[in-house]
Amino acid sequence: MKKKLLSVLLVGAMAFSLTACGGGSDDSSSGGGDSGSDEGGSSGGDKLVVWTWDPAFNIPAIEEAGKIYKETVNDKFELEVVETLSDDCETKLQTCAESGDFGTMPDIVLMQDNSYQKFVSFYPEAFTDLSDSGIDFSQFAEGKLSYSTVDGKNYGVPFDNGAVVSCYRTDILDQAGYSIADITDIDWDKFIEIGKVVKEKTGKYMLSGQANSQDIIMMMLQSAGASLFNEDGTPNLVGNDPLNECIDIYQKMVKEGIFYEVNEWDEYVSSITNEQCAGTINGNWIMATIMGMEDTSGLWEITNMPKLVKTADATNYSNNGGSSWYVTSNCKNTDLAFDFLAKTFAGSEDLYSNILPTTGAIGTWGPAGESEAYQAPQEFWNDKPIYSTIVEYAELTPTNNTSAYYYDVREVISTAIQDIMTGADAESTLEQAQADAEFYYQ
Amino acid sequence: MRFPFLYTKFTILRSLTAKVTSFENQGGLKMEQKKKGMTLIAKQKAAGWAFLTPATLMIAVMSFYPMIRAFILSLQTGKGANYRFTGFSNYARMFEDRVFLRSVGNTFFYLAIQVPIMLVLAILLAQLLNNRDLRFKGLFRTCVFLPCATSLVSYAIIFRFLFAQDGLVNNALVKLGLLDQGFNFLGTAWSAKMVIIIALVWRWTGYNMVFYLAGLQNIEYSVYEAAKIDGANGWKTFWGITVPLLKPTIIMTFIMSINGTLQLFDESVNLTNGGPANATITMSHYIYNTCFLRAPNFGYGSAMAFFVFIIVAILAFINLKVGDTRD
Repeated sequence: MKKKLLSVLLVGAMAFSLTACGGGSDDSSSGGGDSGSDEGGSSGGDKLVVWTWDPAFNIPAIEEAGKIYKETVNDKFELEVVETLSDDCETKLQTCAESGDFGTMPDIVLMQDNSYQKFVSFYPEAFTDLSDSGIDFSQFAEGKLSYSTVDGKNYGVPFDNGAVVSCYRTDILDQAGYSIADITDIDWDKFIEIGKVVKEKTGKYMLSGQANSQDIIMMMLQSAGASLFNEDGTPNLVGNDPLNECIDIYQKMVKEGIFYEVNEWDEYVSSITNEQCAGTINGNWIMATIMGMEDTSGLWEITNMPKLVKTADATNYSNNGGSSWYVTSNCKNTDLAFDFLAKTFAGSEDLYSNILPTTGAIGTWGPAGESEAYQAPQEFWNDKPIYSTIVEYAELTPTNNTSAYYYDVREVISTAIQDIMTGADAESTLEQAQADAEFYYQ
Repeated sequence: MRFPFLYTKFTILRSLTAKVTSFENQGGLKMEQKKKGMTLIAKQKAAGWAFLTPATLMIAVMSFYPMIRAFILSLQTGKGANYRFTGFSNYARMFEDRVFLRSVGNTFFYLAIQVPIMLVLAILLAQLLNNRDLRFKGLFRTCVFLPCATSLVSYAIIFRFLFAQDGLVNNALVKLGLLDQGFNFLGTAWSAKMVIIIALVWRWTGYNMVFYLAGLQNIEYSVYEAAKIDGANGWKTFWGITVPLLKPTIIMTFIMSINGTLQLFDESVNLTNGGPANATITMSHYIYNTCFLRAPNFGYGSAMAFFVFIIVAILAFINLKVGDTRD
């Protein structure tokens, strides 16, 4: 009998503490509005709730912005950052929009530029129009601004740019008899030639990437101003010459053992950190990951990416990723949110120069690029002033067509390329891919 | 097998209903004896219904209401949250969707290969561990059951690490001299499917074994002894006694496994991410992608979910009919 009583007590205690846990986490996820309501965004006062991801990049940036705003404008200002993966931000937002209840949304959310067009065209009611918010948009790079603009209205405050950089290990290149200059301003033919020598002499791959989400192809396309889309956003996969060339190059690289295909993002990161690859080509935000490898400091250098050979308008510059801040429709204290963004991401040189050394986040706000911090040589990157170089790259990047169905079509083309790699006929596979992509548009 | 709670809920509901009916039956007898005043009977009846109501209400609100809403949603299409009725267009769309058809194929492939392997293994293990003379039975049983206690996501991720190009399995194969360099298990269509099946067998065999063990415990040992005296060997007793007497359990595990496999999601998402080139994507994974990864289409997603529901219902029905021994 005593045993029974004891077990009942124990179970009761457990159940009680678990409910308490649930209650507790409810409170914290509610963002703790001042009135203690279960709203996600704060319900007024001096507090803002922000969702963003990457503790090495976006999170320190927004926290720095919060600090600056608190010091210079409003000493009662409070900022709550909820770490939310990019995918989770999108899933949560979508769930809110579908149910028509935005109550759990934060005040400000960071979104990938490539996703935003989809969200704003499907759920315009989720975002607040910033056109009349007092934020000066004229100082942002125009190409970047186009991602967050719909029908002439500004919805987002641009944050980092995604200018593509090629990062290489100079010590590995050196072993193969090359310097960073040999690999600057080249085309893909030359790149493959160098890659073969590197593979032969060092056993290392030149690049790596996820086979199921083709970033490299997207970057190659944009470097020539091409894309998977027509001007009206419909898919353009058949008879797209730049695309065919990109697929050829990609195929060649994988066959020659220059490009290491992996299945997941973490494998991609570890292929770099385990020194399986001599380098990587990606949006400059990848540098935050590379800088995590402190023991390789000084061995890395950046340069521009190779350009397409046959395509007419090919350049050595492209873009991948980058994101912008959006104010959700759940934000009760929009004045505070507008003022915060206007005085930090759209108005504080200090912010951009403070976050630069720790995160490497390159802003797209014009005046930031002129700050001295951008000219400073970076020890990790062989004492080169890489940040001003990246700003230069960003200015040279061609723009291209995009679509609300960006990820749908990218997935279709990734699938098609995987099929082609395993021996399927390229032409018919692409025709099928075009049909698949058009199917999603219906 | 992924979500057995629905099944459990029904069982509880059914046993409660049975109790109420038996109350009524008893009541019927007593009523004749004591026509006046139904106090005791009525009280019992009321008590029965009182016990039933909370569970019934919960199931209705938490399960049936969403199901009905999902069905209504499946008849609608629209951009964003603005839906309008379009009849059965979503259902028609399904059969033109190459990726969906592929996911159906994949799911049935898993079903056809994995479920028989798993159930046979489970029944053999149960038979072994039911041996009276076996020492440390408890320990072995726990070991076989333990995989079930792992979270679906974490075990799928661990399998992904094991079978990565520089993972444990590849390292072992290279060190043993069987391979020159790591094989891309998850990047090759057939091997990616095999890895999923291996993972599923590892995760769910112990779970099914427990049901068989419970079933075996209900078989009188004297039946086996009698068979032994009549000269039946191990194989014969297995087919002549164990399997027929376990039949209800086998049918139950079959239905649960079919149901679970058709709703396979975590493994496809976390182990292979549906790749390479959709070679391992399952129906549920594709439904999720349609709703959340792609340009959202919740109506179409619901329609596909209902398609899965109908298939599960049909297969369970066939299973019950085939397994029914009553004439």
